[in-house]
Amino acid sequence: MKTTEYYKVAEHVFSVSAESFFDNYKPFLTEKVSKPLFSLEIFNESFSANFTEEISQEEEGQRIVCGHTEEGKSVFEFWLENKKAGVLISQSDFQNNVLYVEKGFEKFSTDNALMIVFALSTASKSTLLFHSSVIAYGGKGYMFLGKSGTGKSTHSRLWLQNVLGARLLNDDNPVVRIFSEEIKVFGSPWSGKTNCYKNEELPLGGIVLLSQAKYNKISELKGIQAYAALIPSISGKRWDKVLADNLHKSETVIIEKIKMWHLECLPDNNAAILCKNTISCN
Amino acid sequence: MKLKKGFVVREVCAQKVIVAEGLEAVDFGKLLSLNDSAAFVWQLAEKQGDFTVESLASAFCKEYETDEKTAQNDVKELLEKWQKLGVIE
Repeated sequence: MKTTEYYKVAEHVFSVSAESFFDNYKPFLTEKVSKPLFSLEIFNESFSANFTEEISQEEEGQRIVCGHTEEGKSVFEFWLENKKAGVLISQSDFQNNVLYVEKGFEKFSTDNALMIVFALSTASKSTLLFHSSVIAYGGKGYMFLGKSGTGKSTHSRLWLQNVLGARLLNDDNPVVRIFSEEIKVFGSPWSGKTNCYKNEELPLGGIVLLSQAKYNKISELKGIQAYAALIPSISGKRWDKVLADNLHKSETVIIEKIKMWHLECLPDNNAAILCKNTISCN
Repeated sequence: MKLKKGFVVREVCAQKVIVAEGLEAVDFGKLLSLNDSAAFVWQLAEKQGDFTVESLASAFCKEYETDEKTAQNDVKELLEKWQKLGVIE
């Protein structure tokens, strides 16, 4: 039998109706509200959507095919290692969403669908879903950015091993929300391969772009370079003009208000110590 | 020549940048920063649609105090750079 649960992530409430639920959402359970930001209904059945493909994006064996139906609904097809995992169909405003899940891909499809709908429906509310690993230290959150495989998670591990009092807030998909008085980073139900689903928030203390090098060196990132570091780390359909405008607005606030650095580094203890000494003193 | 589709002009810290946001350009993976005069040439190119070095240079001279020959050289150099980067075709 289907039941409905309500979750609160970065102070946005959404609902999910399904036959079963996953543990990574439990810390985010909240009371029922009359008007959630969006709702997702999950069907455990196969479905072939008839749609026009706009773009297909592939990363690490996962593929998302985006498109739209004739009536203007958005379609997202999820594939994992060349097997179809599910189809998300959304109204143009992303308020009501339906997900059809293939057997064996329940969690994969649910996580992907909720991340997409969350990112797209909160973009207009000064909220950004990042691809980042986040360390909590000294009452602030520090985000590490970088392409897949750069070593974001590795760098976080090095903080945990070398910096007293450092904790992992999220290892893959934290949420940043801009409030009038401050910018906060929130844990989320999505954390990649790491079991770290913390319902916690911290003021955002800084952002560090990582790249691999044969040495450790840190320098401040400003202006366009800072902007260029943010863009590939934030989820969103940038080919949708309204969404792109909203993301751009939030990105310019972040580069104005948050200190950003570029850390060229080795995967060693000194990288974490150099990083910590530089960014937590600012 | 034409500007390729999918590129938009954004303002970041009071500087103009060309960002690939459209479906046609999602794989561009770069930002292109423009000074004021280059941004003006981009604007002219957008307006003209199908443009040449001459058509841009002559429109450029109406706004900036420069002689046609210098403008042509500058525009030519700029377009060669854009061609290399793949933002025009």
